Amino acid sequence: MTAYIIRRLLYTIPIVFGVLLLTFVLFTLVGGDISMEIAGKNATPETIAEIREEYGFNKPLFFSWDSQFIRHFKSALTFDFGRALDREPVIDKIKRGVGPSLALTVPMFFGIVIIAVSLSLLVAFLRGTVWDVVALVLCVAGMSIPYLSFILFGQYFFAYKWGLFPVFFSPDLSIPQYVALPILIGIVTGLGSNLRFYRTVMLDEMRADYVRTAFAKGLDARRVLFKHVLKNAMIPILTQVVLAIPFLFLGSLLLERFFGIPGLGYLMVEAIGSRDYRVINAMTYISAVLFVIFNLITDICYALVDPRVSFD
Amino acid sequence: MKYGEKIAGVAVTVLALALSGCKDKGPSEGPGEMVLHHALNAKIKSLDPVFIQDEYCLTVCSQIFETFYQYHYLKRPYQLVPLLADGIPEISDDKLTCTVRIKKGVYFQDDECFSEGRGRELRAGDFVYGIKRTADIKTLSPNWTYIENKIVGLDEFRNYTKTCKNAADVDYSRKIEGLQTPDDYTVVIKLERPWPQLVDNLMADVRNAPMAKEAVDYYGKDIIAHPVGTGPFMLKEWRRGSYIELVRNPNFRGEPYPDEGEPGDAEAGYLDDAGKIMPFADKVVWTVIEESQPAWFLFLQGKLDAKTIPKDNWDEALTASNELTPKMRQLNIHLLAVKDPSTFYLGFNMQDPILGKNKTLRRAINHSIDRETFVKLFFNDAYDIAHGVIAPIMASYNPDIEKMGYSRYDPDRSKELLAEAERIHGGKIPTLKLAMQGTSTFYRQFGAFLKRYLNAIGLEVEVEYMDWPTFQAKVNKRGAQMFAGGGGAGIPDAQDFLSQFYSKYWAPGSNHFNYLNPEFDRLYEKTEVIPDSPERRELYRNMELIVLEDCPAAFLDHRVRYVLVHDWYKNYKPHVFAYGLSKYRRINLKKREEYPKLLKTLEK
Repeated sequence: MTAYIIRRLLYTIPIVFGVLLLTFVLFTLVGGDISMEIAGKNATPETIAEIREEYGFNKPLFFSWDSQFIRHFKSALTFDFGRALDREPVIDKIKRGVGPSLALTVPMFFGIVIIAVSLSLLVAFLRGTVWDVVALVLCVAGMSIPYLSFILFGQYFFAYKWGLFPVFFSPDLSIPQYVALPILIGIVTGLGSNLRFYRTVMLDEMRADYVRTAFAKGLDARRVLFKHVLKNAMIPILTQVVLAIPFLFLGSLLLERFFGIPGLGYLMVEAIGSRDYRVINAMTYISAVLFVIFNLITDICYALVDPRVSFD
Repeated sequence: MKYGEKIAGVAVTVLALALSGCKDKGPSEGPGEMVLHHALNAKIKSLDPVFIQDEYCLTVCSQIFETFYQYHYLKRPYQLVPLLADGIPEISDDKLTCTVRIKKGVYFQDDECFSEGRGRELRAGDFVYGIKRTADIKTLSPNWTYIENKIVGLDEFRNYTKTCKNAADVDYSRKIEGLQTPDDYTVVIKLERPWPQLVDNLMADVRNAPMAKEAVDYYGKDIIAHPVGTGPFMLKEWRRGSYIELVRNPNFRGEPYPDEGEPGDAEAGYLDDAGKIMPFADKVVWTVIEESQPAWFLFLQGKLDAKTIPKDNWDEALTASNELTPKMRQLNIHLLAVKDPSTFYLGFNMQDPILGKNKTLRRAINHSIDRETFVKLFFNDAYDIAHGVIAPIMASYNPDIEKMGYSRYDPDRSKELLAEAERIHGGKIPTLKLAMQGTSTFYRQFGAFLKRYLNAIGLEVEVEYMDWPTFQAKVNKRGAQMFAGGGGAGIPDAQDFLSQFYSKYWAPGSNHFNYLNPEFDRLYEKTEVIPDSPERRELYRNMELIVLEDCPAAFLDHRVRYVLVHDWYKNYKPHVFAYGLSKYRRINLKKREEYPKLLKTLEK
């Protein structure tokens, strides 16, 4: 297993290099020079030149020890991404945003997974009945209604009209208070697609021979569902769950924006809007590294839950 | 342990870690504490005056930093009065030397950058230091152009900073002939040539506020988050992108509330606090709320003291005749209409081979747009139609400008002009491209509106919707053929409107039209050295007529802001040029406390 992990970790080196090269090409060559935007209105060429010097935009792109690519590479490896356009260190922005983002996305994510998997088992068990049809219709409706509608509706009724939750972030609220409603909305909006996916997975398993055998032997439904079906459905569930975890880091733009949660979703979109490449680059790089790590974790988990999978 | 329990255990651990990863609680409002609650539409980028570029930073920084002069809070027309200065500036007969004396006993807030953490007394040198920072090219201040070529020796100082390798190498003790401090309470400014906006632009603009060198040295690049000023409030907490909280500065000397205003102010209650020592509030809190729906809900819940009316809530707040709805009246909400010093337009790139050389075509477009319908459709008939470039609240506004007919909607005349324009062009006008500075519904509707009117006279238009940075880059590179934009004035002087047409400010400067008219330039340079007078106002009007005649833009509207204010919010008189206004405002705490009861009663 150790050899497998080391081998997989070595594979990540060219992947990370590729990500760095791609982000560099996108943000430096395609994105263009942003000195004029930093310089402000009626800036003189000298000011623009000074900004280029300060931010290193005047350095060679590739073939030099102090080239922009080497700096880009170094900043990624040391996690020192420099200062954003508003002169705040990028890493400080990320550190500040990661807590609120995870406080929103982690409970939301686990809420969706736990509820969707449980309901999918139930719906799969009740397949063909009116409950299955109702669940399916609700899933399709949940997937078809725009995300924004859920937010507007939830904020209007639950927060403003009925006063069950705060409308917006306020400094005198604790985190659980101001993330509760967005989490609830996130869970409701995420249930449709997830329930449909897990239902399909469970139905595939329910049709398998071993399920019929288990029922034929006289095992009760609870035991068949939770001990046998759930265990055998773990591979697709793990793939879906573990690979989604790195994206939790990116937060949720709309929920953060509407509820004033100062997370990373907000930060990323704002950085894109203002062409703050240092922030975009840092976020892209960290997301890519997390994705690679969680991909590895997924593979290890496969072996843990399924004895047929080996590290060889 | 079973799988299910293991998974649940991991989930709970991750959840606990996520929740513990954030600060748990912010400050709360103490009993009897007077807190002003405001909303900001955008994030604050910096609290360092030299980096201020937008009204949000200006708003917050103006509560912390002070200037030599400020605009009178109540009097109209707007007039400057001393703030840190001890009296009016002494200006020499040749208008080239200005002497300002500053008040004694003004102290910076306590901060660890000072010896023993105690704020020291303000000195004349702090003002000079602030200006030098803006001039220092290593600071990368975007505000240099406002003071370029104005003060004797300052441009040489900037050139000297260019020769320094690092920011730390710049010697701030170098003397500048035009910025002298004969003693700690006197500043003498020598100008290259007369500068009529000297007091407005240099001494009443918080971008040039006095700075404590100790603070800049102590905090280095992090000075953007550690403002150290002399103003009525000081920073307590800034959770970037989320909220900012200021508290009273205990070192603030106290300033009396104005005891005179304009007619009607006494009746409106604006003089109830005359002579009382400010500030009244204990805290000022700004929450960043970029979406209009939550801000509107918070205002109705009484968690914001004032709010401009969002486009989507117009019908809930105002009737068809722009008066408060019964619901707003029952909530004791007041309405204030504030005319902005702003002008929005459809701009033409004068360097474009089709539009630039064809004035008749530009005029055809100008007369093809129905501004009345535009204002009705997009702004509930609440904005003013723009008949020229200068906004109506400016003293140099030409009251006869409407009669001159430059803004007249005349599709028949437009068609005639277009026929003539096609003859000049030598054939049918090719499809024109219109750049819009946003992709939101508003910009899509706005683009569709302009396209419809241009199509109606026979012009083909392709509307390009883009985000703000892309739009800015396109205009700065002079690549936009037509573009929807706008501009405003930061001081009560129309120069800010007219500078957009000065040829030395071609894009990437503020002249996005790349407009050039030697006669306009000559008059502009003439007005630069003439103090405010009937003569200068007349020159401004003449310059406006030159622009209207050349038609580098079709002017569309002037913004009017409709603000709703809760009745507990006192001394809320709109002011379009001043920003440090929290010191004047007061809360009737009893009324605010009773508001939830009122809401419940009305709901029943």
